[in-house]
Amino acid sequence: MRTEDKTLHAYLDGELDAAASLEFEAQMAANPALRAACERQRELSAAIREKADYHQAPAGLYRPERPAIRNFRLAGAFATVAIVAFALGALVKFPAAGDSLAGEVVASHVRSTLSGRLFDVASADQHTVKPWLSARLAYSPPVADLSNEGFELAGARLDTLDGKPVAVLVYKRRQHVVDVFVRPESGAAGRASFQRDGFNVEGFAQDGMRYWLVSDLNRNELDDFARLLAARR
Amino acid sequence: MPHLNAAYNLARWLTRNDHDAQDVLQEALMRALRFFDGLRGEARPWLLAIVRNACFSWLEANRPADLVAIDEREQESDAPGPEALAARELDRRKVNAAIAALPVPFREVLVLRELEDLAYRDIARIAGIPIGTVMSRLARARRLLAESLRAIAPPPRLRLHK
Repeated sequence: MRTEDKTLHAYLDGELDAAASLEFEAQMAANPALRAACERQRELSAAIREKADYHQAPAGLYRPERPAIRNFRLAGAFATVAIVAFALGALVKFPAAGDSLAGEVVASHVRSTLSGRLFDVASADQHTVKPWLSARLAYSPPVADLSNEGFELAGARLDTLDGKPVAVLVYKRRQHVVDVFVRPESGAAGRASFQRDGFNVEGFAQDGMRYWLVSDLNRNELDDFARLLAARR
Repeated sequence: MPHLNAAYNLARWLTRNDHDAQDVLQEALMRALRFFDGLRGEARPWLLAIVRNACFSWLEANRPADLVAIDEREQESDAPGPEALAARELDRRKVNAAIAALPVPFREVLVLRELEDLAYRDIARIAGIPIGTVMSRLARARRLLAESLRAIAPPPRLRLHK
């Protein structure tokens, strides 16, 4: 390939520095054939950009709540973590999802708040949220209206815990978001309360359902919320 | 969501079908997450390099015929014929078919340059080749494309002005 050829492409692709660009333009001014070749390349390039398909990622790839096979959802969740991290340009390592259930619920909470995708169904009405969830899960999680107690229902989303689909109810209290993970689980009784990465996590079991509450809300209020939820049964 | 479309577009052009592109991309994303510590500098070339490698592994296993070695020797290019290619008049289907028909090493640099608008430096990093090779492959990719489009382009028509 002639050097001239490479220079032409580098020129069109904006890869020449200012001095080399000027020099190439001077060459073109003196050489109509070169100028014509350059124009043809520019046209071809424009035609490719204009006419070739740019394949958009299918929605299922990063919408884990779409009905799809499970590993598809999991991949979506991974993708969400990865992409959000890229967007932030963060060079920090996320807490490894999956090292424990608690780690997973916190990771899910962080992921949803970072990506701004707090819920898949936005509604303050428990009679909208509950059927939405039941239609997409093999169980129907209890959805309580606690607005009188200062916890506004904002909506719900689906996520995965342990590779299994889980309902996440999203409540708001002042500026805080509280995620409530609910799924059926037998035998796992007892309360759990701890902090992880600055988030408070409350866990309890009630009527065959296991609840995990995750929020940056202070511990006392989150504990109150857990009691209110448990008392609603 | 940034970069996911870029990743998918590359996988789709390299595997040449939606189903395989999705499978390969899912695996690549998991791998990307696992090697997240390895991220230095810009995220898009980094992610695309992982996707590109996953595609090549997949091609090796499933479409070995697509990976025939290309002759990297520098060729004396034929001076392009005097007749200009009426690039603007080409239809979408033909442009897509002509790109899809390019050998993989040319297709990948062309897609990265024209559809992702990446710099030579980034393309070199993604494809794992020196910048000089990016330049020569890109020039050849464009020439091959122009040739195949010229071969199928309709003869120039007379335009009626109203």
